[in-house]
Amino acid sequence: MTALLDVSELHVALGRGRKRTEILHGVDLTVAPGEIVGLIGETGSGKTTLARAVLGLVQAQSGTVAIDGREVTGLRGGALRAFRRSGTVQYIFQDPLRSLDPERTVFDTLVEGLVVRGRAELQDAALGVAQLVSLPLDLLPKYPGELSGGQRQRVAIARAIAVDPRLLICDEPVSALDASTRITILELLLRLRESRDIGVLLITHDLGSLGGVADRVVVLYHGRVVETGTTEEIFLAPRHPYTRLLVTSVPSIRDEEPPDPELRRALRDEVRGLAATSADSADIPQITGA
Amino acid sequence: MSVSPDSATAVRAAADAAGESGRETLLSVRGLRVSVADGSEVVHGVDLDIPRGSAVGLVGESGSGKTLTCRAVLGLLPVGVEVTGGEISLRGTELTALPAAKRARLRGTDLAAVFQDPASYLNPSITVGAQLAEVLRVKIGLARRAARYRAVELLHAMGLRRPTHVYSQYPFELSGGMLQRVLIAMSITAEPELLIADEATTALDVTVQAEVLELLTELRRDRGLTLMIVSHDLAVISQMCDTVHVFRDGSIVEAGPTRRVLRVPRHPYTRELIENHERFGIDRVRKQRSQQ
Amino acid sequence: MKTITGALRTRAGVIAATVLAVVLLLAVIGPLLAPYDPLKNSTEILQPPSAAHWFGTDYLGRDVLSRVLAGAPRSVFTAFEAVGIGLVIGVAPGITSVYLGRVYEWITLRVMDGLIALPFLIFAIAVAALLGNAVHQAMIAVGILLAPSFYRITRAAALNHANAQYVTASQLFGASMWWVLRTHVWSKILPTLVVATANATAGGLLIVSSLTFLGIGVVPPEPTWGGIVASDLSYLTQVPYGPVFPSLFIMATVGALNLLADAIRDTSGDYGRARILRRGASRVRLT
Repeated sequence: MTALLDVSELHVALGRGRKRTEILHGVDLTVAPGEIVGLIGETGSGKTTLARAVLGLVQAQSGTVAIDGREVTGLRGGALRAFRRSGTVQYIFQDPLRSLDPERTVFDTLVEGLVVRGRAELQDAALGVAQLVSLPLDLLPKYPGELSGGQRQRVAIARAIAVDPRLLICDEPVSALDASTRITILELLLRLRESRDIGVLLITHDLGSLGGVADRVVVLYHGRVVETGTTEEIFLAPRHPYTRLLVTSVPSIRDEEPPDPELRRALRDEVRGLAATSADSADIPQITGA
Repeated sequence: MSVSPDSATAVRAAADAAGESGRETLLSVRGLRVSVADGSEVVHGVDLDIPRGSAVGLVGESGSGKTLTCRAVLGLLPVGVEVTGGEISLRGTELTALPAAKRARLRGTDLAAVFQDPASYLNPSITVGAQLAEVLRVKIGLARRAARYRAVELLHAMGLRRPTHVYSQYPFELSGGMLQRVLIAMSITAEPELLIADEATTALDVTVQAEVLELLTELRRDRGLTLMIVSHDLAVISQMCDTVHVFRDGSIVEAGPTRRVLRVPRHPYTRELIENHERFGIDRVRKQRSQQ
Repeated sequence: MKTITGALRTRAGVIAATVLAVVLLLAVIGPLLAPYDPLKNSTEILQPPSAAHWFGTDYLGRDVLSRVLAGAPRSVFTAFEAVGIGLVIGVAPGITSVYLGRVYEWITLRVMDGLIALPFLIFAIAVAALLGNAVHQAMIAVGILLAPSFYRITRAAALNHANAQYVTASQLFGASMWWVLRTHVWSKILPTLVVATANATAGGLLIVSSLTFLGIGVVPPEPTWGGIVASDLSYLTQVPYGPVFPSLFIMATVGALNLLADAIRDTSGDYGRARILRRGASRVRLT
């Protein structure tokens, strides 16, 4: 089975002239159809840059991104637009309010992708996706400002689903939401994966939130993938020091004793040592699980 | 799952029991009511007791009244929101009756607070060291050089590496975790007895959150600081607090020792919060393992 | 045009719109209402207002009311013409400068900077000298000089919205630049642009008046409001109130335009927009 998303040896640099710095130093990543892959990375790890590179919003220096078997790194202008119109890959933003046009109704927003493609039967399509994401139909004539946070994120997801994507890239889709709303949105993603066999790349800074959602976890640290494995492996038996630091840092209500600060301190020092050597281009050790 | 307490929990439970009976109450809130401008009540009679040297957690979703309660304790309610009933007493002194100026003097010297967004509490065009030194000069009357020396010392005590370098940096040059440490340093300069942390680690990365929580634990252990921790995250409360108060729609629905509340929740809403917490996240994976 | 209908629900908006409607009516039918021939001289020179001559007569014995009415179309429509030219030259490059790449952006910015640096009246006089002293040539000059402010205003507004997340979302659907501009950016720029246009029209009217006052553009004896003020000013010692009547028309029009601009701005800000949208939303029905 070919991977839906296949990122290989991806290098991306941002900035101009002397300020140009490499953000991603050769990233490998795959997402299979119907698979939810969690991409965990803290501030400055390059996780959002990776998403933007996959979407063609920033140019890669070298390496390849293949979506559904099609090489997309070289696409420019008209060819890129044509590929985007196929709707194969869609993006969900962190802040649903800012990702929705405040002056367009929910209905207009839902069908936007179809209008761009020149589709005509918008009414049925809008009702269909609204039902799919459990969005009350009386919200369709309303504006984003009149919706709750969870409803807005539903609209954003429905807008993406309307063009029948194969791959969803979600960048912190629940970080801006309340705990109970979070659950409904994550459940929605799980349901969409079931019913439509969509592959999801779930980007987050919060390792904890991936439990019960992601099938596999990819850990990004300073622009490099340091460990990949099933969610169980990563949570219960992390091997890379950075992953171990992440796992021991997540507070838990099931801890019999609070996690040992000394262990964390030791891990922290080890991880800092790694970051320092990686600057001299010696690679951070990489661990790949099953 | 079994509820039989292991030895660590037994020790804790014993400590809690001793705390409730033995330790002196630092802050006591009785029947606190808070209303907004149009007259509708948003906090309906909240009771809280914070023993000296303890860590007390306030947990609930947004709009549950936990933040308004701690703002009322600080005397920093938003415009148009006011206390309409109840008592807040610190070491026996009734705070609600105090004039605003006296109350302001209490902040920093007796009560202090850190909030979610540290950057917005700092002047972007002055170095963080200068701002910290200014607090030292105003709050405890140190001379210029002594304040500078003490500020560097405090930054070091907050776990910031290269404190003299950090002293001369501007807020935008520091990460969120470093800024929160600077804010904590500022809040404890005058050695207050109670530190209120209102979602103070919510916006931070998990590894940084762990570091800041460790810092707060150290301050409690080494300086006898009393902590009031407001958070929507049950796990943070679980890790930090002896007792927890569960807020819902402006009332406390359940309160008690943290272990007891999380293991044997009595109120259905507390059970719902715990279920929601274990629905997704690292605790779900750990729960599955423990059930196997 | 939600922005304008919103403004018309405020008191200031209604007053401004009423005054402007009267002015526009005069601009269309004014010459027909004139009681005398505005170009016909008589021996009754510099008469004070009377039942026969409401605004009095000028130094050639012409009826001032007739001249003001006959001059209305020229005064008002020339201002529109100048603003229209300014809009055409300023708005399109202003929006596209955000989307068409750095080279295009740099060139348009430098051209507009150059235009701002030109002294207003001297440029108008130079154009009149070069292209011939006639109305349209003068208005082209004024229009070119108004363009930079339109360019700056639309560019600033477009920049504000060019990187919005919903614009990115739209681009990820494969939408073209024009589609994004039409659906997401244009409606955000419009309120600002309407305010700028109302302000510029007021300014244009004053400029046209001052140019005709200098004898550029509309040439005597053809009447315009600015021209009447100019000729009346020469006889200020004999008829001190002379310039008042034509000036009143200029002031009323300029004032109404500014008032309308204010009303639109107040109803189309974030607050105003939310209010209008709420009202709009309750009317929308899903068919």
